[in-house]
Amino acid sequence: MAVSLWGALRAPRWWLGALVGGCLAALGAGAWVLATCEAWEWRSGWLVGGGGVHLRLDGLSAFFMVLVAVIGGAGGAYSREYWTDRAHCVSAALGRWWWSALVCCLGLLLLCSNGLHFLIAWEGFAVCAYFLITLDPRRAEVRAAGWLYLGASHAGTLALFGFFSMLAARTGGWDLGPMRECGELAPLFWLALFGFGVKAGIFPLHIWLPSAHANAPSHVSAILSGVAIKMGVYGIVRFSGWLPLPVGAGWAVAALGAVSAVLGVVFALGQHDMKRLLAYHSVENIGIILMGVGFAMVAAEHGAPAWGALALAGGLLHVWNHGLFKALLFFGAGSVLHATGTREMSRLGGLWRAMPWTSALFALGAVAIAGLPPLNGFVSEWLVFLGMFDAVNQRGVALVAAIPAIVLLAMTGALALACFVKVCGVVFLGAPRSPEAVGAHECGPWMRGPMLVLAACCVAIGLAPVAFWPAMRGAVIAWRGAWANVPAPESLTALGFCHVALAALAAASAAWLWRRAHRVGWMPGVTWDCGYAAPTARMQYTAGSFAGIITEWFGWILRPEIDAAAADGVFPRHARREAHTPETVLEKVVEPVARMVMWVSGLIRGLQHGRVQAYLFYVMIGLAAGAIMAVAWNP
Amino acid sequence: MNPALEFVVRLVVWLLLAPLLPGIINRVKAWVAGRRGPPVLQLYYDLARLWRKGVVVSTLASPGFIAGPAVAWVAILGAALLLPLGPLGASPSFRGDVILLVYLLALARFCTAWAAMETGSAFEGMGAAREVSYAVLAEAAIITAVLTLSLQSGSVSLCAMLAPAAGPGAALLAVGLFTVLLAENCRVPFDDPNTHLELTMIHEVMVLDHSGPPLAAVLHGAAMKLLLFSVLLVQAVLPVGKLPAPAAAGVLAAGVLAVGVAIGLVESLLARYAFRRVPLLLTTGFLLCVFALLISWDGGGA
Repeated sequence: MAVSLWGALRAPRWWLGALVGGCLAALGAGAWVLATCEAWEWRSGWLVGGGGVHLRLDGLSAFFMVLVAVIGGAGGAYSREYWTDRAHCVSAALGRWWWSALVCCLGLLLLCSNGLHFLIAWEGFAVCAYFLITLDPRRAEVRAAGWLYLGASHAGTLALFGFFSMLAARTGGWDLGPMRECGELAPLFWLALFGFGVKAGIFPLHIWLPSAHANAPSHVSAILSGVAIKMGVYGIVRFSGWLPLPVGAGWAVAALGAVSAVLGVVFALGQHDMKRLLAYHSVENIGIILMGVGFAMVAAEHGAPAWGALALAGGLLHVWNHGLFKALLFFGAGSVLHATGTREMSRLGGLWRAMPWTSALFALGAVAIAGLPPLNGFVSEWLVFLGMFDAVNQRGVALVAAIPAIVLLAMTGALALACFVKVCGVVFLGAPRSPEAVGAHECGPWMRGPMLVLAACCVAIGLAPVAFWPAMRGAVIAWRGAWANVPAPESLTALGFCHVALAALAAASAAWLWRRAHRVGWMPGVTWDCGYAAPTARMQYTAGSFAGIITEWFGWILRPEIDAAAADGVFPRHARREAHTPETVLEKVVEPVARMVMWVSGLIRGLQHGRVQAYLFYVMIGLAAGAIMAVAWNP
Repeated sequence: MNPALEFVVRLVVWLLLAPLLPGIINRVKAWVAGRRGPPVLQLYYDLARLWRKGVVVSTLASPGFIAGPAVAWVAILGAALLLPLGPLGASPSFRGDVILLVYLLALARFCTAWAAMETGSAFEGMGAAREVSYAVLAEAAIITAVLTLSLQSGSVSLCAMLAPAAGPGAALLAVGLFTVLLAENCRVPFDDPNTHLELTMIHEVMVLDHSGPPLAAVLHGAAMKLLLFSVLLVQAVLPVGKLPAPAAAGVLAAGVLAVGVAIGLVESLLARYAFRRVPLLLTTGFLLCVFALLISWDGGGA
């Protein structure tokens, strides 16, 4: 990896080779730990910042390490064609350097078992991500997005500073590890939940996420969404496994997960910018992950390993799955952006003809993210569902929470399906809506290759889920050693069998129908628009009209801004309607509060004017107040 | 029975008997209206004719336009094969197969809506938008019904869930599932299967551009889906799995026939609802399932 840092600036070829080599090494290490279920630990007397270096790669960190390695390598290869030296003469080399630095920091973060070093790696990766987001700082919205990201990220880091220093103060050292017997540490979990939650993008802490993911270069969006926000999940899972849990923590995490899942997808439906829409889907999928994790925490609290392990395994597998298909979708969106120069869905359409590979791979990612069989998204959602159904059938305390969670998860699936029919239909199908869409071109092999790799991973997890159970098991054992003897769900094999049968039958019947249609006579014709003779591309359903019914149902939170001029008169000339869904939490909550803070600060600023006499007067008042307090409180 | 033979029998039932049900519904409608009506086997004739006819394909459509109906048909068939059929238990029965069933139906919906978006037609876009939007409420109702059955039987596999009767909440569950059946299969009062060019349609408008063999796949898939929901409804409410084999087969057939007659009567006696009221009706179906769930929660069960 060090070679790749050096090569980033000097030799792009060496850089990619070193990066992919480093990622393969990390992948191998992660897979080894997951396969053997034995943690690798390394301590040295070498002090960094006053703490001895302590590295550890156990099942849980290895699980995340695999994801970092896959997306880090794939994104690096993708950027070779997407962010070329020719098109971006300065930022391409910088981008390579920061990319390597980001992957290194992510790896270190997963390895560090010392609170101080964890914080250093955390801050390092936040800063690397900032520089990657703002690779193209000439555009104002990129600068704004980067700034918002940096601010929000540091709000979270502040909470983590508090968390780690209090942890260190109470345990007497920076060393991290299982400390579930110290009950007084339990309340610290809430601080960690906030700090990691900002990074993970839990609703309503997700304010930075849509603009950062939309405005970053697409390979950066892919690693941000696929890996960086997962570090928030890693933090939550890691410290909920090591620290004692406060009462109600599991319920809170599951409830936050359910809210994030539903509202994330609802906000996604309201978007007309392709990458912004994908960004909101990250909020949704983080929600699904947290539902699994939250129920696992409830199960741990009430001693129900059987369904707790299922829910946790489902949540963790969804970490992988979301990383894979979301990176695939962002690569696809990047390929569209590269070919057409726009992210605006209502300017696209009919791209399948010019970009068959991108369309097919994006469609595969869409089926996966909508949680449909036979792909990987369904496997993880199925495990979470199974865990929650078992919680219902145990008729324990978790019943009350599991019932609404199941209904909300099912609705999330249906909403995600609606959203991805919308994206695929509007962007790739139908007729092109603008000259840019007409002139689109397919992406080259360096962009297509990583997409194919990710798609293959999605298919592999979907068709052979049972092969990935040992990995999930390794992570679950690292979380709760006592859950080691939970067996693999025997129905996972049956599910894999059904998926294979489904995929084979679907391919066979599609081929059969295709042949039959050609044999009986294939006549091309104009789209039948109920007798209308001259259909145009502008008559097609747009992204906004497609999602109109659902965005109307959720108007209470989406608060769409509609700018319309109705058609009136016998021969109306102008009629137009534009709808835009703002980031409600940011614009309706955070910004007013921030303005209020600024206003109060502005009042206080009046005290500082540079007149020395007045400052002396302040000092006198301060001294007097101090004296009075000293006298009053020390009788 | 030999598992291979059993599988073949189930396949035959789903593939060959499914187009009968729309014929029965049409007979009931014709009988109520005092018309002679089309023959019961009309859909078989239609399918045979469509299979031989040529295809007109929009110049805008991609290969997905043909693949969509094919995959949707396979998904519905797969969902149907997961369902136990009276005396014939489901062949690939496993824990969690019920979730696979719900999501296979979702896959069929994705493919149908995808194929509808292929042609760039404003009408088909509208139909697809309505289909996927109302499915959100229908999905909530189905999963609540599934939860009710799961809580009742203490199991997550279809065979065990559908064997006993639905218990005290049976009537509520039956009405709730019947509402979902009407919505998912585009029957009155949600949609009108007779009209083809109305602005208020959902499903029919999505298949406007299909013709020939792909349309045959769509129609056969729709018939299988109708039979699937009828079988699900009957087995959810009646203790079909607990009866001896001949009685179970008889009860199941009679139950499906009764559901068909009920659909026909609803179509004859009700008008299609105004479009704004469709979500309200679906929400009612969802609430009925929620009440059934609450009853089975309180009422004990396994």
